[in-house]
Amino acid sequence: MENIQNFSREKIINDLLPQKFGRRGMIWTATLIVICCIGAFAYFQQLRKGLVVTNMGDYVSWGIYISNFVFFVAISLVGSLITAIFRLANVPWRTPLTRISEIIAVSAITFASLIIIVDMGRPERLVNLFTHGRLQSPIMWDVIVIGTYFCLSLFLLYITMLPDLKTLIAAKEKLGKPFSKLYRWLASFWKGTEAQEKIRNRAITIICVVIIPVAFCIHTVTSWLFATTYRPGWDSTNFGAYFVSGAFLVGAGGVVVAMYIFRRVYKLENYITDMHFDKMGKILVMLSLLYLYFNINEYLVPAFKMKKSEEEHLTQLFAGEFAPLFWFAIFVGMIIPILIVIFPKGRKPKPMFVAGVMVVVGAWFKRYLIVTPTMLHPFLPKFDSPLRYSHYFPSWEEWAIALGSLSGALLIITFFVRVFPIISIYKTIEQNEEENAN
Amino acid sequence: MRKKTLTNQFILLVCFIFTVPEIQAQDSIVKESVLNMKYYSVNNKIPYLIIKTQYKLGKKYTPVKNIPVQVYIDSDSSEANLLGKAITADNGEAKLIIPASVKAIWDASSLHNFIASSTATKEFDATKTELPVTKSKIEIDTSSDGETRSITVKATELKNGVWAPAKDVELKIGISRLNSLLPVGDEETYTTDSSGQATAEFKKDSMPGDIKGNLILMTKVEDNEFYGNLSVEKVVPWGVYKITENNFNKRALWGTRDKTPVWLLIMAYSIAGGVWSVFIYLIFQLLKIKRLGKASV
Repeated sequence: MENIQNFSREKIINDLLPQKFGRRGMIWTATLIVICCIGAFAYFQQLRKGLVVTNMGDYVSWGIYISNFVFFVAISLVGSLITAIFRLANVPWRTPLTRISEIIAVSAITFASLIIIVDMGRPERLVNLFTHGRLQSPIMWDVIVIGTYFCLSLFLLYITMLPDLKTLIAAKEKLGKPFSKLYRWLASFWKGTEAQEKIRNRAITIICVVIIPVAFCIHTVTSWLFATTYRPGWDSTNFGAYFVSGAFLVGAGGVVVAMYIFRRVYKLENYITDMHFDKMGKILVMLSLLYLYFNINEYLVPAFKMKKSEEEHLTQLFAGEFAPLFWFAIFVGMIIPILIVIFPKGRKPKPMFVAGVMVVVGAWFKRYLIVTPTMLHPFLPKFDSPLRYSHYFPSWEEWAIALGSLSGALLIITFFVRVFPIISIYKTIEQNEEENAN
Repeated sequence: MRKKTLTNQFILLVCFIFTVPEIQAQDSIVKESVLNMKYYSVNNKIPYLIIKTQYKLGKKYTPVKNIPVQVYIDSDSSEANLLGKAITADNGEAKLIIPASVKAIWDASSLHNFIASSTATKEFDATKTELPVTKSKIEIDTSSDGETRSITVKATELKNGVWAPAKDVELKIGISRLNSLLPVGDEETYTTDSSGQATAEFKKDSMPGDIKGNLILMTKVEDNEFYGNLSVEKVVPWGVYKITENNFNKRALWGTRDKTPVWLLIMAYSIAGGVWSVFIYLIFQLLKIKRLGKASV
């Protein structure tokens, strides 16, 4: 943060306070709301008519809803990567990235929980999971761990924001009365005394230690939803590590995209600097290589053996119906970003943004490829079933709901940025003062 | 002027683009369906027919539902010969039991010709198929001399009002299991000799039977060009009653929620309990911060 060494405290506060939406911001928010409304209408149709409005059937009973769920769970892991791991590792340049990653985690895990309910034909029966749930089922483990991770992520976001809320309360004139009421409700008790600060710091350290295994659990358990079944493509001991590495990659990609957008829209070039992109670029390369390694393990070993039961599934992925999507996910989601970001020039904001977008888009399709092709290749032969059961392409309702949920997650982030500072004001000032003192 | 011409050309192009798929769609509305009919006689009782409607897409046949079909015996020109009408179900099949009303026609001859026709619908054209069937029956007989158990199947056909041996009929002899026939010997199929008989040696010792040790022997003629599909069963006390260990009330991964294995309960509750204890502790810390804040006012 060399650029802000000469900045006064007031200047930093002024730069980082939440800002009103401009014209572009209003268009962006309105677009997201419209997409969400279309998604809500599609879900209403699904509630009224049942899952028959989807193109899921006897074979593909997990379509893009579950792909979307896995994607959301994956991207939510970034909260633990940037905040918890970086804090425990005492990474000095993490300050402008922590809150971005925390809000991505909260919004993603919120919609992961919602989209799983959307996949239920009878959502009112969700309560049965708690009244009649079997602890032997990985689905039950997933419900427990997602609930836990949601609470921890929300708590982490809140407790790290307390000192900033005090600043926001003080800036009542500038931010307006309604927001001020909210800030006071959230943190009027925070005085920033030494005793309070001590407890808060200890609480953050504890939560950072706890959230890492919970984050690993959340995606490992999600991978077990697949890996505990004996089906081609899912029957793998590699799945937990494969999912977690992929989750860190998409999370890092998501943070890079968000960094670039916030930097440009809110003119934060002095806070989110080229150095941050360079460091995140190196992390992105490392995570891409790690995920590529797991992908090679996941596909090369079964392809080398070509067991009869796996043959059709693998052939469809490598050279069949799913080949364009499969190679798109491998190249666009991993190989091209590595080639862009591995060179110092590629770690500049713009190429990093492009690489980040590629990672996120590739990751979404990768989740689709993990979920759906396997379902089209059951062990028992398909017998006397309609031809459409052998193929799956989501209906407009499914697309609308999936896109609506993605927009919903972005809307949470958008509203959050409107109300709260996206970079920790308190931490930035503290770090600046420390650097100036040195 | 030139601008107007260009606009007109554009409108024409748009109309053309939107009309071509419409024309193509109209051309491809009516498809050709395939009608398939099979004759079944189970335990020599009232026979029935299964009519299946399909349509060929590429190299595969796909069942067609909701097709009205009518089936006649010997002639489709008289309502007296009508066996019945049906509509094909989701699997493209319709079942028709030969009704008592055609008994006189049924008894009049040993050879009958079944005629099935489907009515044209919006999507599929009308089609027709015929199936000649000679009246026949199979009987199953068993013998045991203490060491060897054998099964003799006799196939006969009705010729000039007399049951005559049906030779060279390929049939299966086996034990009826869930949705399949387990061969009793080494052979998959047997063929009847000039006396219409086929014999199989029962080689399945210690085969699990029902609670009384009974097995259901079954013989089947499948898709015979003259006789259709025939099957007959006989219960024999050649099996053994196997007492299986009942794990129903024991704790297992596949058990009900109150039968969760203890190790899993300990693991899951200790992990969840551990994390939630920390979380509750953190909530208390937050409340402590709140108290400190209020105290310092």
